[in-house]
Amino acid sequence: MSTTSKQRKGAALHLASRVAIHVALFAAVVVTLFPLLWMFTTAFTPNELTFRRNLGLLPAQPTIANFVAAFQIQPVAYWLLNSVITSVAIAAGKMLVAIPAAFAFAHFRFRGRDWLFAVIVGTMTIPYVVTLIPTYIAIVRLDLYNTLAGVIIPSIAFCGFAIFFLRQSFKVVPTELLEAGVIDGAGPLCALVSIVIPNTLPAIASLSVLSFLSAWNLYLWPHLILNDANMKTLSIGLKLFATNQEQLQQWGPLMATAVLGLLPALAIFAFAQRYVMDAFVHSGIK
Amino acid sequence: MFALQGRYAAWLFVAPAILLVAVFIYLPMVLNVGVSFYDWSVLRNEFTWKGVENYLSTLDNIDFRSAFANTAIYLAVLVPAQIALPLLLAFLMLRVRNRLLVRAYRAAYFIPTIVSFSIAGVVWLWMFNPIVGFLNTFFEAIGLQSHRWLNDPDMALWCVAAVAFWKGFGLNLILYAAALVGIPREVVEAADLDGAGPWTRALRIEIPMISPTLFFTGVTTVLIVMDEIVGVVDVLTEGGPYNSSSNLVYYLYDRAFRQFNFGEAAAVATLIIAIVAVATWLQFRAFERYVHYQ
Repeated sequence: MSTTSKQRKGAALHLASRVAIHVALFAAVVVTLFPLLWMFTTAFTPNELTFRRNLGLLPAQPTIANFVAAFQIQPVAYWLLNSVITSVAIAAGKMLVAIPAAFAFAHFRFRGRDWLFAVIVGTMTIPYVVTLIPTYIAIVRLDLYNTLAGVIIPSIAFCGFAIFFLRQSFKVVPTELLEAGVIDGAGPLCALVSIVIPNTLPAIASLSVLSFLSAWNLYLWPHLILNDANMKTLSIGLKLFATNQEQLQQWGPLMATAVLGLLPALAIFAFAQRYVMDAFVHSGIK
Repeated sequence: MFALQGRYAAWLFVAPAILLVAVFIYLPMVLNVGVSFYDWSVLRNEFTWKGVENYLSTLDNIDFRSAFANTAIYLAVLVPAQIALPLLLAFLMLRVRNRLLVRAYRAAYFIPTIVSFSIAGVVWLWMFNPIVGFLNTFFEAIGLQSHRWLNDPDMALWCVAAVAFWKGFGLNLILYAAALVGIPREVVEAADLDGAGPWTRALRIEIPMISPTLFFTGVTTVLIVMDEIVGVVDVLTEGGPYNSSSNLVYYLYDRAFRQFNFGEAAAVATLIIAIVAVATWLQFRAFERYVHYQ
């Protein structure tokens, strides 16, 4: 008797704790996602209604007028274009540099290999601010100030993680497979292109997505280098917009611009969620 | 393999990466120390020798001191918070059986990580708006007092810290979740058989088992708090009001790019790397002592 009542009590406690866990997890989801939902709400609410205090998540009179207005108030189209160009160039540049280097570190023996690898991976622990001022001075002297190239080129150098991550993935490609290629007369470059890359596409995809996202979200460096309103990327254009709109009170168009900046990242995340999270998770494993 | 022809190919393959890293990371790092002893004029493009003066005037500057103190607060608050709360959520997620639900939770928590600092900044700027922002509207609706949030010198730093936390916790969370799932089942089951309760199991088994991940996130979180919240600071408060939410990197930015005192800013950068080096060294010391590798 006493055991069954104990068991029943245990079961009730178990159920209560399971409910409590879900309540806690769900509350955390609400707090996490609410500000972004609110951004969407404001973006689709007529701007004059944003000044009425309101707590509803669904806009009363949904409209896309804010998006139209955003393009008229600020050069948002240029910002988007600049963001796409810089992010694609940085991501592609990193892959172009990291893939051959990671291949060499994974499958070749050469003098100084481990030391060079340590030098590259060591850059992951360096705060980028210490490179900021000399690089800025160099960019100004090279007349690359206020150009996208001035943003792109130094950013590609932060490829330490990419090389570290790809080396791990490339190591999985069996040596026998590569040796078979060599017997067939494939040179190193041929082996890389025809054997290693096709066998590690998921890792390469994860890393490309990650590099694109981090470039899309770059803040301080483009903020320093891009000066003209038309030259800015979306990430730093938003700051300009936010500073200007405090007098103008254009919260609707500002949130519409933020939505435009978030959508590409969200879309990539939705389609490549597993790859993105895998890449982040691998960054944390030893 | 690739024994003969390979050697040259290997050097060719690593050359671009080595070159970029050397030119754009290591060289600037060394030059930064050099610049910190000079004054650089943007207009005339000239360097003037200043010796240690940049360091002395920096340490003497009251704005630097408040930025330094704020950085200490940001680190003291955000590093433990960004480790403890995600860890707690990861433990809770471990108890959820429905795999679809686990994936949904993970994705939801992770989303702020992919939001850029400036988007996070403007979204929260709008949330914090004292007149029509959501927070004050909500607070008044449920009978609480409204606040000035970012305009209040006593609150601005905490608002910035909250936004930085909001943006950063999801990354550590998915790392912990992955590490906890990776613990071999036998170990956990053995602990259960020995009659260990959930607390004992977490403290004695699970946390030690994932200590390499905890260590890794400790190091990266210090870097992120030092380096990257400058974006949030810039959009939300520009370090204000009255420098109450500024940090070292924002101070550096302000010195260099608003007051064009590049020498002093370089001195600040040198101090920052010294602080990060000390923090990382301390963590490595703790790592040697406590981290458990399987």
